[in-house]
Amino acid sequence: MNTHLLPALPAGSRDRKGPGSFRARHRRRLLRTDLLATAAWASIAAAVALWLADGGTSGFSTLAGAFTSLGIVAGLAGMDLVLLMLLLAARIPLIDQTVGHDRALEFHRKLGKPSLYLLLAHGILIAIGYGMTEGLDPVSEAVSLWVLVPDMWLAFISMALFIAVVVTSLVAVRRRFPYEFWYAVHLLTYAAVATSLPHQFSVGGLFAEGTWQRWYWLAVCIATGAALLHYRVLEPVIATFRHQLTVSRVVQVAPGVVSIEMHGLRLNELAGTGGRFFIWRFLAPGLWWHPHPFSLSAEPLQFDASGRGLLRITVRNLGRGSAQLAGVKPGTKVAVEGPYGIFSTAARSRDRVVMIGAGIGITPLRALLESTPFAPGQATVILRGRSEQELYLGDEILDLARNRGATVFHLTGARSARHTGSWLPDSATNAGHRLADYAPEIADADVYVCGPAAWARNVIADARAAGVREDQLHYERFDW
Amino acid sequence: MRIRAAVSAALASAGILLAGWQSGIHVEDTRSAAASTSAGINGTTGTTGATGATGSTGSSSSSSGSTDTGASGTGSSGAGTGTAGTDSGAAAEPTTGAAAKAGGTYTGSVVQTRFGAVQVQITVKAGAITDVEALQLTDDDRKSVQISNRAAPLLRSEVLAAQSADVQTIGGATVTSVAYLNSLQAAIDAANL
Repeated sequence: MNTHLLPALPAGSRDRKGPGSFRARHRRRLLRTDLLATAAWASIAAAVALWLADGGTSGFSTLAGAFTSLGIVAGLAGMDLVLLMLLLAARIPLIDQTVGHDRALEFHRKLGKPSLYLLLAHGILIAIGYGMTEGLDPVSEAVSLWVLVPDMWLAFISMALFIAVVVTSLVAVRRRFPYEFWYAVHLLTYAAVATSLPHQFSVGGLFAEGTWQRWYWLAVCIATGAALLHYRVLEPVIATFRHQLTVSRVVQVAPGVVSIEMHGLRLNELAGTGGRFFIWRFLAPGLWWHPHPFSLSAEPLQFDASGRGLLRITVRNLGRGSAQLAGVKPGTKVAVEGPYGIFSTAARSRDRVVMIGAGIGITPLRALLESTPFAPGQATVILRGRSEQELYLGDEILDLARNRGATVFHLTGARSARHTGSWLPDSATNAGHRLADYAPEIADADVYVCGPAAWARNVIADARAAGVREDQLHYERFDW
Repeated sequence: MRIRAAVSAALASAGILLAGWQSGIHVEDTRSAAASTSAGINGTTGTTGATGATGSTGSSSSSSGSTDTGASGTGSSGAGTGTAGTDSGAAAEPTTGAAAKAGGTYTGSVVQTRFGAVQVQITVKAGAITDVEALQLTDDDRKSVQISNRAAPLLRSEVLAAQSADVQTIGGATVTSVAYLNSLQAAIDAANL
């Protein structure tokens, strides 16, 4: 096969550090994780403290006041959660490099329902509390708020939008609709937040003009908006212009699998990103609007010191969009965002490393094997596919392993029909093999797993059984 | 490590909440003091308002800046008729000039809100609003009193500058502002401005 991109540099030589450096780096990452978690909780406490500092507890002297006060607290906490969700989805490098892109989005999803419940409670409790003061039932009170109080009609629209966004994101609902529908509804989040802001500052007495609470809330909202604008809009545009990527050739690796090579500028800045993913947009008719998340399947190859070079991704016909990619013409311009995620050296915590990949999930491991530092004998690569042909880039991995002193296993064959919990081929399962038989020192290694979700779950279960702790497990989803 | 995160998050949150609560107690003390002084001001302006137009301008300005009242009253009267022209004010002025020139005090209607009743009184001299007094302001609870005390002076100066009820509401005091301006419009209508 003539598709090899042999490493230009002795792999990992620039990045190699003394033993124990991974542990120190890992400790720093865990510290950052804890600090971020603390900051998130503290922000919720601060939102409630705004109300406490305004003497909010005096509202509990009457029943109506108690309803109103609880409503205000629910609104403050709910809005704070919404802002946290926006920050988690903003692809801020600090968050991305600390917990990783997929875990950040997992937290984002977890906060969805609680924030909606708080916002609903806010509306209902306030309607009850105000209604009791005025001698109206909550429904009439809500109507009078809508009609009589400026900016409140916007708040009602905001509530409806929030409900729509969360409902379409429920797993059961999301499955029924195409990705694009969900995405379009999800964009309404920005409208939901924007329409909720006026009433917070005009009707909410807490954020009245001249109070420090108003300044705090304004600062938090503006900072969140600025982070979104910068990392989700400006950075991608800047990266696209900085790297000027153009498809140079498309090579078939196996049936239904192609490698797309792109040349561009200043690729030296992307060194060490092997395994991390980028979001690609191929600027051709019918393709440009579809963003594709793919990992690099090789370290960026540099032609000269100025950073001119080559990037490569390897993709399989998984979705409708991916199928079209095989037809991308050389010369097509490419818009790029990233790199994102910590399926990379940044996640290392040990000197030893075990990489386990199946099918197209092998390709990010190929890039990781090229760049991540390890001493000869400290790395094990386990490749899994139905046939030898499905071990994409398998011979490149063999070359790299030979150069760097890594152990490679090719495990081919159909999965066991009887043992549904196994990730191994039928023959290996019947022989009683486990993960620890291939990588005996796995309990003291970083374990990188990339493959279909069900298969990966089985690998992870086997790894846990072999004594691998949670912080040693690095798992990338790729079947979006 | 998860334990460390949980402990530090709990400590940080508890500290922030405690700090907020402590300063909240402080705010409540000052607020009850503010409530009593505002009641006093309302009382005095109420009585001076009854004595006469010129008298009330002088005495009420002592509570919120005397030079400001005089300057805005005369300086913006030309602009005032311009903006008032949109709502029958300018047309009415030449014909009913007698009422406006004579001046006097005009009391607006009582507007009920969820936070209490609002009523304002205007002082008119030579066809211009020279003063606005709040006879009643939202005062159902301490919070409303605080908001009213902050919003009333701002609304007053806005109204004196614009010479109409067509002014911006005050952020964070929307309900009070809307009621204030409605009562004001009633007073302006009564004055035939």
